Amino acid sequence: MLIDRQVSEQLQHRLDKITLDESMARAKAALLNDIKRSVYLYRVDCGGCNGCEIEIFSTITPVFDAERFGIKNTPSPRHADILIYSGAITRMMRMPAIRAYEGAPNPKLVVSFGACGCTGGIFHDNYCVWGGSDKLVPVDVYIPGCPPTPPQIIYGFAVALGLLGQKLKRTEIVEKAGEQVPLRFESIPYKTKVALERKARLLSGYCSGRDLADEFMTALAAGGGDALPGVDALIAKQQDPRRREILEELKAELVSLPAAAG
Amino acid sequence: MLKTIREVLRTGNATVQYPFAPVKRPEYARGKPDHDSEKCLACSACAVACPPNSIQTVVDITAGKTTWSINYGRCIYCGRCQEVCPTGAIKLSPEFELAVMNKSDLEETCVYSLASCSECGEFFAPAKAVDYAARILSRSRGDDEHMRRAIELISVCMNCKQKHDAYRYWEKSKQAGELLC
Repeated sequence: MLIDRQVSEQLQHRLDKITLDESMARAKAALLNDIKRSVYLYRVDCGGCNGCEIEIFSTITPVFDAERFGIKNTPSPRHADILIYSGAITRMMRMPAIRAYEGAPNPKLVVSFGACGCTGGIFHDNYCVWGGSDKLVPVDVYIPGCPPTPPQIIYGFAVALGLLGQKLKRTEIVEKAGEQVPLRFESIPYKTKVALERKARLLSGYCSGRDLADEFMTALAAGGGDALPGVDALIAKQQDPRRREILEELKAELVSLPAAAG
Repeated sequence: MLKTIREVLRTGNATVQYPFAPVKRPEYARGKPDHDSEKCLACSACAVACPPNSIQTVVDITAGKTTWSINYGRCIYCGRCQEVCPTGAIKLSPEFELAVMNKSDLEETCVYSLASCSECGEFFAPAKAVDYAARILSRSRGDDEHMRRAIELISVCMNCKQKHDAYRYWEKSKQAGELLC
């Protein structure tokens, strides 16, 4: 229906991506040469959770002090050198996003901020989300993170301003012939291993439970024939009473198992 | 004035020197997930656990390949992949310098081969996962029948396993002298 009424495609669900020509790339390089330590930012939140904004503000606090590089926040896109698009592009925010882009004087740099800004993040398959800001505007630098931490943001700006080079590269790995995954703790029977890991995860959660079970089983496997002294030494070494208690419970579990190695 | 200067000198500089000096990251800081492709089984546990679908696996059943991919631009650094990984192949590293100029630099792909069924010849599971399971099973004491059967049928696809089960059931019922179906 919108097509019948001759409404621009930009207003419809199909987005016209704004494209730039060659001369703009040269202008951007000249801009970077000129602005040096006077960089004005304008934030465009296209539908994020505000986590990214909070991190931007912690970046301009004295601890991380982005103003060392002359980076300043500005309340109007008319003063901006860099536009920060945070949050996924949502249907309702497409026009404000485009207006902010048009409002900023050329040449300008665009930074796609956070996981949502880069690709749509965790909201990528939401009904009203169109994906990252690169669907709408030409993006110069992507800063991933959910939200990006202040050092990550400073690094991103350093990349945008040409102070630092980019580290991450696209990697494409193909499995080598005869590649084998090493077995973990081969000397411990499989069922004992499962029981210990289960118990540890039940007691202290999925992630740290695994770490504790790994520590426990390393001590167990190192002992060889008589493993319990190694485990006792590990328990005695613990400073944290919570860790000690869990390791003690694991030891009790190990002793109670019918055909345990120990 | 002197008092102020003395106070300033006493308190020192609170600003972190990054990027001119390395920044101190807290313990357990969550950064880029490091994927060790050699340890990876291509079992897709991480792809199932990943809340924003940053990790995905695409299986090409005709070519016998499975492609594991991660998009760091979509990753929310929650560490669920690390939690579920059975071999510890993926782990969050403190690496945080991830900003890129080109979006395709945020992606990593790994291609693994699939194992084909020893009976019908169809590809059914990642070769590394089958090999890993076979080695675990061979180390365990095959004392119960369940385990022995698992070792027997390790390189057989799901459909052929069902056929085996049906055949076994038929044999059993013939022995019992009645057909239970």
